[in-house]
Amino acid sequence: MKYQIRFTLNGEEQELYVPANYTMLRVLRDELNFMGTKEGCGAGECGACTVIADGRPVNACIVLAPEMDGMSIETVEGLAKDGRLTPLQEAFVSHAALQCGFCTPGFLMSATALLRENPHPAREEIIRAISGNLCRCTGYVRIIEAIEDAARDNGQ
Amino acid sequence: MKNFLYHKPTTLSEALSLRARYGQSAVLLAGGSDVVIQLREHLIAPEAVIDIKGIAELTGVVWDEHNLWIGAKTTMRELAEHPEVLRAYPFLADAASRVGSKQLRNRATCVGNIVNASPLCDTGTPLYALDAVVVTNAREIPICEFITFVRRTSLAADEIVTGIRVPHQNCKGEFTKISRRSEVDLSTVCATVLQAGDSYRLSFGAVAPTPLRLRETEALLNGKPLTAARIEQAAISARAEVKPISDIRASLEYRLDMVELITRRSLTNLMNGGSEA
Repeated sequence: MKYQIRFTLNGEEQELYVPANYTMLRVLRDELNFMGTKEGCGAGECGACTVIADGRPVNACIVLAPEMDGMSIETVEGLAKDGRLTPLQEAFVSHAALQCGFCTPGFLMSATALLRENPHPAREEIIRAISGNLCRCTGYVRIIEAIEDAARDNGQ
Repeated sequence: MKNFLYHKPTTLSEALSLRARYGQSAVLLAGGSDVVIQLREHLIAPEAVIDIKGIAELTGVVWDEHNLWIGAKTTMRELAEHPEVLRAYPFLADAASRVGSKQLRNRATCVGNIVNASPLCDTGTPLYALDAVVVTNAREIPICEFITFVRRTSLAADEIVTGIRVPHQNCKGEFTKISRRSEVDLSTVCATVLQAGDSYRLSFGAVAPTPLRLRETEALLNGKPLTAARIEQAAISARAEVKPISDIRASLEYRLDMVELITRRSLTNLMNGGSEA
């Protein structure tokens, strides 16, 4: 049995038929070929699959596909517009806040959600907002500095 | 994960007839942070998943004249940020804010945390200490009778928890979570210690098959002023009243030490008039 779901993905309407036992992550990657969202732990712990759903960061690996019906979903592919990176993405590049890059889409989505809600977060707030995103190679200092930098440029 | 049927009822009566139809072979879904993992790990293989998020009668937090109502749709984030909860029961907001990550708290619900009935559920100890009442479509059950064993509750196969009711009360105290990592980790030991007038309530998680109220230690303290000597007595009593096991997160001995430490620390904070960490 498949379930009809309608949702917006990075501003575009989507309509799909999905089995109940798929996750949002599988739909994004395998059905829609949006490979930016990564599967790390698959259990809501590492944050590699973080997307913004209805304005809030969530783990795509623990949302069932039929639950996507009616949602507005943003993935890392939706950040850059017309080939231009967002200031946050630019800050990740200039701070070299990534090495292998596997965790980067998740960090970008968590930090994007944070900066929209709180354009000038304190360092502590940044650390808390990304505590659900694990990085195993770069370390967190450059990532935190990149987000601080993007926040500093906000509205200036 | 094995396939299943997905239902998203829009009314409570529709949800209840689905519950009646499937009995034990259906599982209720709210935030999914426990259910989806159990599906994925093949710990459960239900015929149907009933998503309760579309049910019109279910709510988030409602603060009225007599009660705090934690509706079945209340996410951990909503509970952690609700201004009345932060004012009256900061230890409950604190517990909710310590569950998982920001991403998880946007989905996971407080009612789901209780229905999942893990011995270390973070919102369990504040709700035990507040004498919260679990409300289903059919009845009201004190929370300490609702959770019966590890991952077991007294919820019948044809019932749905609509929310948790906390009668308004004046109390102060604190929630403590001991874990290897401060965020995105399970509790090694968690606890809530409260003072309401001259009575005390001590509740611990991850030290028995269910969260526990330490009634004997409370009796030792009730009606008497807090002194350093009485706090010492209570710490020893608390240690004797819990029944932890050794597991992947900690040894039995460590947990006993932490129960003693939390009891001493939280009561000392109350004696000194502070309750916030």
